[in-house]
Amino acid sequence: MSDGVFVQILDLVCGGLLLSGVLMLWRRELVAIVRLLVVQGVLLAALAVLLGVREQSVELYLVAVGVLILKAVVLPGVLHRVLRDSGDAREAAPLVNVTSSLLAAALLTLVAYAVSGPLVALAPSATTRALPVGLAVVLLGFFVLVTRRHALSQVVGFLLLDNGIAATAFLATSGVPLVVELGGSLDLLLLVLVLQVLAARMRLTFGRTDMDELQELRD
Amino acid sequence: MNLISVGLAVVAAAALVGATAGALAQARTRPLVAGAATAVVGLGGVLAGVAALGGQTWSLTIANLLPLAETTFAVDALSGAFLVLIGAVAITAGIYSVGYTSPGGAHATDEDDAAPGHDEVVAHDGVDAHDDVPGPAKAAASRTAQAVLPLFAAAMLLVPAAASVSTLLVLWELMALTSLVLVLAEHRLRRSVRDAGLWYAGMTHAGLVAIMLGLVVLAAGAGGESFAAMRAGSAGLSPATASCVFLLVFLGFGSKAGMVPLHVWLPRAHPEAPSHVSALMSAAMVTLGVYGIIRVGFDLLGGGDGWWWLVVLAVGAVSALYGVLQASVAADLKRLLAYSTTENVGLMLIGIGAAGVFAAEGNRVLAGLLLAAAVLHAVNHAAFKALLFFGAGSVLRSTGLRDLDRLGGLVSRMPVTTALFAVGALGAAGLPAGNGFVSEWLLLQGLIHSVTGATAPSVVVALSMPLAVAVVALTAGLGVATFVKAFGVGFLARPRSVAATGATESPLSMRVGMGLAAAACTVLALAPAVAGAPLGRLLDVLPSVRGGAPLARSDVSLRLAGIAGSMSPLLIVVGLLVAALGAAALVRRVTRGAPRRATPVWGGGSTRLSPRMEYTATSFAEPLTRVFDDVLRPEKDIDVTPFAESEFLIASISYRQRVPDRVEARLYPPLLAAVGRWGQWSRGIANGSVHRYLAYGFIGLLVVLVVVGITS
Amino acid sequence: MTAAGVVGVLVQLAVVVGGAPLLVGLMRQVRAVLEGRAGAGIGQPWRDLRKLLKKEAIRPEGTSWVFTSGPLVLFASTLVIAAVAPFVSTASPLDGVADLFAMVSLLLLGTVALTLAGLDTGTAFGGMGSSREVTIAALAEPTILLAGFALSARVGSSNLADIVAGTLAAPAQVLSPATLLAAVAFAVVVIAEAGRLPVDNPATHLELTMIHEAMILEYAGRDLAVVELASAMRLTVLLGLSVNLFVPWGVATSSAPLALLGATAVFALKVGLLGAVLATFEVFIAKWRLFRVPELLAGSFLFGLLAVSASFFLA
Repeated sequence: MSDGVFVQILDLVCGGLLLSGVLMLWRRELVAIVRLLVVQGVLLAALAVLLGVREQSVELYLVAVGVLILKAVVLPGVLHRVLRDSGDAREAAPLVNVTSSLLAAALLTLVAYAVSGPLVALAPSATTRALPVGLAVVLLGFFVLVTRRHALSQVVGFLLLDNGIAATAFLATSGVPLVVELGGSLDLLLLVLVLQVLAARMRLTFGRTDMDELQELRD
Repeated sequence: MNLISVGLAVVAAAALVGATAGALAQARTRPLVAGAATAVVGLGGVLAGVAALGGQTWSLTIANLLPLAETTFAVDALSGAFLVLIGAVAITAGIYSVGYTSPGGAHATDEDDAAPGHDEVVAHDGVDAHDDVPGPAKAAASRTAQAVLPLFAAAMLLVPAAASVSTLLVLWELMALTSLVLVLAEHRLRRSVRDAGLWYAGMTHAGLVAIMLGLVVLAAGAGGESFAAMRAGSAGLSPATASCVFLLVFLGFGSKAGMVPLHVWLPRAHPEAPSHVSALMSAAMVTLGVYGIIRVGFDLLGGGDGWWWLVVLAVGAVSALYGVLQASVAADLKRLLAYSTTENVGLMLIGIGAAGVFAAEGNRVLAGLLLAAAVLHAVNHAAFKALLFFGAGSVLRSTGLRDLDRLGGLVSRMPVTTALFAVGALGAAGLPAGNGFVSEWLLLQGLIHSVTGATAPSVVVALSMPLAVAVVALTAGLGVATFVKAFGVGFLARPRSVAATGATESPLSMRVGMGLAAAACTVLALAPAVAGAPLGRLLDVLPSVRGGAPLARSDVSLRLAGIAGSMSPLLIVVGLLVAALGAAALVRRVTRGAPRRATPVWGGGSTRLSPRMEYTATSFAEPLTRVFDDVLRPEKDIDVTPFAESEFLIASISYRQRVPDRVEARLYPPLLAAVGRWGQWSRGIANGSVHRYLAYGFIGLLVVLVVVGITS
Repeated sequence: MTAAGVVGVLVQLAVVVGGAPLLVGLMRQVRAVLEGRAGAGIGQPWRDLRKLLKKEAIRPEGTSWVFTSGPLVLFASTLVIAAVAPFVSTASPLDGVADLFAMVSLLLLGTVALTLAGLDTGTAFGGMGSSREVTIAALAEPTILLAGFALSARVGSSNLADIVAGTLAAPAQVLSPATLLAAVAFAVVVIAEAGRLPVDNPATHLELTMIHEAMILEYAGRDLAVVELASAMRLTVLLGLSVNLFVPWGVATSSAPLALLGATAVFALKVGLLGAVLATFEVFIAKWRLFRVPELLAGSFLFGLLAVSASFFLA
């Protein structure tokens, strides 16, 4: 693969990662959001494959397969099941409305670009120059966590955050060791399962999955 | 014999003669005398300014005019640009004021003519627009107001010629006082005038204090109070001191320029002042704040740090957006224009700020282009804003109304005023064939070329310029909405009140004044390239942007020097005219010139449409109010009054919406309360005992003596 | 200004003016076919124009020169864009007259002419349409300029011919994130500016939902013909701009007659194709509430901003 083509595809994949993150802020239907998570999982796997081709590393292909299975199949599958059970499939009233969320996303992306400057400068290359994208996805994930009420949206925000971290790791180190990726993935799976149980308990207790209801537990 | 000295001598002489004559003249001839004197003052300013822009310089030092300090004047190309700007506004305002202040204006009309129905819809915004606004002529024609008018124009013209701290401050204060007198001209007619005057006096003096502190620190550090000494000595200042000086001076001049959050006096003073004074203040005086920032920042301090200009850029962006948002929802025509001034000053500050950022990075081409764009925008703004305030004044004089919700139908009653107002509105909206378009285009060109150099842009530039472009674009878009509203609701369709129905065209002198301003707008819109050489000379004055010749003049189009970009406003307008006239002729030919038949408008089934069914300014801006709900926070209340018999039968519904100035409401009450507390506290110190006062003086003297003794 | 250059400009004008109603006809036909109707044929808009020209022109009482000149200004502003933009040839002698930003302003001028005309009628419909139209136009402005910024950052100029020539010289750039994001942003703005679904429904006369149609409700006869033709031209110009800014292949780089002929055919094909795609897309969506449109525009603004930042951070 020539340098030019590699950079082109890399940029496209990174653009896709960022775009799917932004679209998650835009859409209200949780089904559509979960579908976007699938897209993002595939893109993340593609990123790993791309780096694998570049580095001629079999390990990275395995990581790619793992990412694909976990993030594009298993986790969205779990979320789909929760969605099917829960009924209310819309993020009806986020704490920050969609228009403002989008404008905030614009600012967060600029912040990501601004602060990752020194990191890029450590080892400037095509992959590290795309580093701000990973950071921006992390920030978007945090933003979703902060502003969305639905318990499932919280999970989505968390997954977005994790995707961002994974992308950042890939881009910064040109691929992560298999063991590290495996450990992280298991953590993630466990966490999503825990959250799924939490959401189910919440629905039993409050009849809804609005995270604000948890405030009542304080008293 | 230097033309500049001749021009400035004319300014001073005409001002003194005009003030004396205005004070002595009979009531009948007073408008003519004062107006003519103001116009001559303006003429002198234009003369001096043109000479300065042509490359002449001039300076003068008078030793004993002021105690303790010399009075120094110096005129260079930068001063020249503002001399031309202010002088031109003064000429048109002088001519306009002859008609505006002569008797014959509309007096208080029946205010409730347009609302006979049950459901009263009242749309206020901030000031009470429904106060009766009786004939402005009489009050603005008072002896004091007329005598002060030429003085005000002359004070403004001398400010850019001042070349030492003391001279500048004295003239600045003279300008502030004369304008204050003029703002208060109608104080007997409306309570709100007194309020406006108080705000204006407070803000302008707070600004004066900030400027004074900044310049005094600078003069002390540089070792001399003349600009020449400060220019030479400013390099020796420590960065912290220089930054302090710049921020103080920026605050001070910014308060005069009307930047957010120091803009609060604009939407009060501009509407309440007589219209020719509003024009002078909004078009000319406000730009002196911009002049001051350029003069001190780029010239006296020699460019300074990048972050200063980033602050300027940010403040400019906020001002532009906030100003245009408030303007787009305002329903009082003159208040709308006042907020639009804040918007345009914001655009100028964006240009200046970006220019400073690039100058600090050593990119002289872009810095020069952006600074030129800012100055050109100041000139354009002066032209269209003077015209718009004149137009609003004509409407006010003819109908007694400033409230857009009650205007309308003026296009057939005041055709000349309407057409001229349209020229100004086109310029203010930044659309092709208007003059604002050219400078906004230049500004955008400067901003987008930030990232196309051979080297990668710095992070600061890469982050701030896209946002600046977005702000300029949103400002332009909302500006269009604002002026579509001002012109479309204010002048078109059918009149919404009896007062508007009875409107008549203004006197000749007012039309001439407006016509001159419109002519200036047109020239600036069609042939902006003539400003190229003067702007280049202006940039040469400033050390950090010297050498950038922003506009290369090539036949009919505007070409940028050093970067790719060209546009031809003249050809665009010619193309538009040819296309429109060609289409009209073709259609006429195809349809054999059949005349249009007059028919009633379609009323959706109803046969008679009353003016109450028309869209008003408030309803026109309603979508914007809703979209920007989070920023504007309009206050709404709905009163539903049922009949006595049953609470289910509604007798009347009253809906009120008011868009208060949120910055003012949030920021100023705590500040004013603190000042009030401080005032209360100081009452305890000053209890009326003469002995105590003498003791204060005595203690003061002792402290000074001790301090001097210790430090020397 | 050479004779060949003048021919190029004239060809471009003829293509836009003559082809615009056909484009509208094509889009309506595609929609009709997809909805299972026979449709009126591609030439119907031209027949409508002929019919309108024969009808009596009326002037609603209380309207002024603003009302009568509105259609002409709209037509003229669109025609100037059609003359200057590199639709058929990048070697236009008028190239330096207007750049991307000037063209955006010209589009806005046309919008303003109609909104003022709408206000001039003094009816609730006119005011309502104007108010909505101008709100959308104002909010679309940042997006379109940021998209333009992203495109011009690549070639160092906001001149349209330069941008088109830059893409021709480096075709791989079309697939860069900056260009793709700018394309999305631009597409949303085109939909908003041209008054297509989901922002405005060009086929509706339902008072609660119409925007563009509400403004021009009082026009009849020859004035309406001019408005209809100008609106169709505006759509053509907007689609033509998006096609040539992002997929410029086929545009002539000289004023040779054969090159012009080929470029004209390719341009017609590309715009027709894009129009058909847009019409197909419109079959599947409904008009949005007016107050959800800012959401759409904020989204496209975000894309524009990302495009700009991607253009100098990634590449």
